[in-house]
Amino acid sequence: MTLEFELNGKTQRCSPAEGVTLLDLLREEFGLLGAKLGCGEGQCGSCTVLLDGRAVRACITRAASVSGRKVGTIEGLAKAGGLHPLQRAFIDQQAFQCGFCTPGMIMGAAGLLNANPSPGPREIKAGLDGHICRCGTYPRIVEAVRLAAQVMKKEAGRV
Amino acid sequence: MSEDLRQAYKLRFEGELEQEQYEICDFRQEADVTRRDALKALGGGLFFLVAVRAQDRVAPVRIQLADNGVVRAFTGKMEMGQGSRVILAQAVAEELHVGFEKVDLVMGDTDLCPDDGGTWASLTTPQTIPVIRQAAAAVYASRNGTPVSLRSPKDWRVLGSSIPKPTSRAIVTGRQIYPSDLRREGMLHASIVRSPHLKSTLQKADVSAAEQLSGVRIVRSENLLAALSQDMRTAASAARLIRAEWSPEPVPEIATWAEEFRKSAVEPVEQNQARYPPLLRLGNLDEGFAAGTRRLKSDYWLSPIAHVPMEPRAAIAEWKDGRVTIDCGVQAPFLVRQQVAKALSVPEDKVRIIVHDSGGGFGGKQNGECEIEAAILARGAGVPVRVAWSREEEFTQSYSRPAGLLEVESAIDSEGRFTAMRFANYNAGPAGIRPQYAIPHHWVGYYRTKSFVRQGSYRSLAAVANNFAREMHMEEWSARLKLDPVELRLRNIADARLREVIEKTAARFGWKSRKTAQGRAFGMSCNLEKDARLALFVEISTSPEVRVLRMAATGDFGAALNPDNLKNQMTGAILQGLGGALWEKLEFDAQRQKTRRLSQYRVPRFRDLPEMDIEVIDRREVDGAGAGESPITLTAPAIGAALFAATGKVPRSLPLLS
Repeated sequence: MTLEFELNGKTQRCSPAEGVTLLDLLREEFGLLGAKLGCGEGQCGSCTVLLDGRAVRACITRAASVSGRKVGTIEGLAKAGGLHPLQRAFIDQQAFQCGFCTPGMIMGAAGLLNANPSPGPREIKAGLDGHICRCGTYPRIVEAVRLAAQVMKKEAGRV
Repeated sequence: MSEDLRQAYKLRFEGELEQEQYEICDFRQEADVTRRDALKALGGGLFFLVAVRAQDRVAPVRIQLADNGVVRAFTGKMEMGQGSRVILAQAVAEELHVGFEKVDLVMGDTDLCPDDGGTWASLTTPQTIPVIRQAAAAVYASRNGTPVSLRSPKDWRVLGSSIPKPTSRAIVTGRQIYPSDLRREGMLHASIVRSPHLKSTLQKADVSAAEQLSGVRIVRSENLLAALSQDMRTAASAARLIRAEWSPEPVPEIATWAEEFRKSAVEPVEQNQARYPPLLRLGNLDEGFAAGTRRLKSDYWLSPIAHVPMEPRAAIAEWKDGRVTIDCGVQAPFLVRQQVAKALSVPEDKVRIIVHDSGGGFGGKQNGECEIEAAILARGAGVPVRVAWSREEEFTQSYSRPAGLLEVESAIDSEGRFTAMRFANYNAGPAGIRPQYAIPHHWVGYYRTKSFVRQGSYRSLAAVANNFAREMHMEEWSARLKLDPVELRLRNIADARLREVIEKTAARFGWKSRKTAQGRAFGMSCNLEKDARLALFVEISTSPEVRVLRMAATGDFGAALNPDNLKNQMTGAILQGLGGALWEKLEFDAQRQKTRRLSQYRVPRFRDLPEMDIEVIDRREVDGAGAGESPITLTAPAIGAALFAATGKVPRSLPLLS
């Protein structure tokens, strides 16, 4: 089957085999290694990407299902050469240790903020509950998302 | 075999080192570097090989002053999120008097780096840092014609600062390459046919259906059988088509293990030079028990648990001219080099292990596992082979934290002070067995026993088990004596720094003004572990379900080399401890491990996050202690204490809710 979809703002065409997951497609076909394979059953959040602005688990999403839709990965989050406020906040808070969950976590946060630009700590925790950080950096992640949301609101206000 | 090698390797690094005794015993500029391909690839400049001696052990350090102004240090330690990379680079920058950004650290490459032991036992801070500092200071001294001297903490410009991880930008942009992200030209993915049993031997296998798939190769080497393909999905499909027959060995039911431990227990002998002495004796037990006014005996049990690193392990092995290079994420590259060499019957110098910063280890990635598998398959296939474990393999193929049976018996006098204690740990281990309490007559010992599943290191090893038993025993005494738990601790602790940590945390937490109410309770725990002084106070609610609402903790680790990293480690360890405290438990039946998927194994999540107040006391004048492990020993007993206060029943096993 031929698949056509938008990946990080660019139209892409490919022919994945039957049953290929979106995660496999991104990592193996497009060499975008940011989304990770952590569990293969949608339980850990490490594979999270945006599909039409909503956070999805790429490891349990069929590649075929993104036909005609917009996929956003960590690699496409920032504008050329810069850093997205979420990325900046995660660095400032050192909201990671090993960092393996981090790309998925940031994309999960991006999806959360798309739906709710002003989440309080309780909503952040609820919204990211599908993401596991085994290193236990949860408090810093909550703080990073809270601060990034403030920055994004200010920037949106300016534009 | 692997376990024997690991024990023997660890023995080489046993024994405490007194920091004041570090000295340079050999210093040379390497002249023959250009003939060594691996080092040649690092560009020109000056290479120094410095040997630092502490007592009877010599640690080699290599430092390069590159032509382009970069300072490069080489260490066998690796990075798995705990911050070794940043603090070692800080140490080099400090003693070479250069900016942090000038330092590059090459970690965990057996061709380039010295063997300074595995990344375990919280040793980087107390051992590797002083060695690297001495070596860097020696290079600085030789370049400037000054005597060798270390920078005093009051003059620190780089050490002692909360410098962010140098890989931060790569991590948040998805550009950090983990072992499971590595790819190699011409590589094949391997999907290994796994036995469904805990222990079994491969009898026969029908690979005919698998071989029909286009592009699939089957490789078998004794018990190892794999399907190889250019993509993982095809390899996995092929492996599923293989009909393998196994002869399983049955495993006793976990309910019988405690009795089996007692039956197979080997009497401990004193080994005071060991890193974790298995027997500590003082005074005379009979005398001690006679001197007490009351006596108490309690038993405790810990279930085996899994590490669950976010990244399932992966390795790529490539053979060239009889030599294999393995890119992977192991915690002990030189140990794994030995294990690979032995498994493949080649000399060690025919094996190169290159460690990449990995997605979490927690003690679970010490051995060669997928690394040995990849090396065997790559040799059989004649091309590079990648073995990337699935989450199911990560649960079932490696070792778990040992189960533990603990028996504590003690006597106390009319002032609430210990007169005697007999403390026995079966199977879990001797780490952290030394009590933080002053007990004039004691026998504290670890019984090695038969174990029925693969077990091995886990963050803080047996210290979680030992501190849980010890602290729950304290809570039982506190209730019987009607003495405040903090007061009981203070009456039995001589160490001034631990007393301060407990009192400070109690005050910050508001311990004295706590009000136990329906469905709300409070608890505390403390420890003195690997030179760290620690205390944790918790508030929990018990309805509708048990939830930790609030935590306050203080840690005194001596000098904080990177205060923010230290706080991150302490917080992360305490939070990881929530899992082992409340829910984590591996389940087995007679032949299989039943726990195989993340959906079957509850780990701490955002929903479990309490309010946290974590403080570190930074004592610059005291040599830094490692902090990666010890805080995890606080969580279970503090919550256990709170549950005891809430229910009146003493929790006797972990996980607390099962």
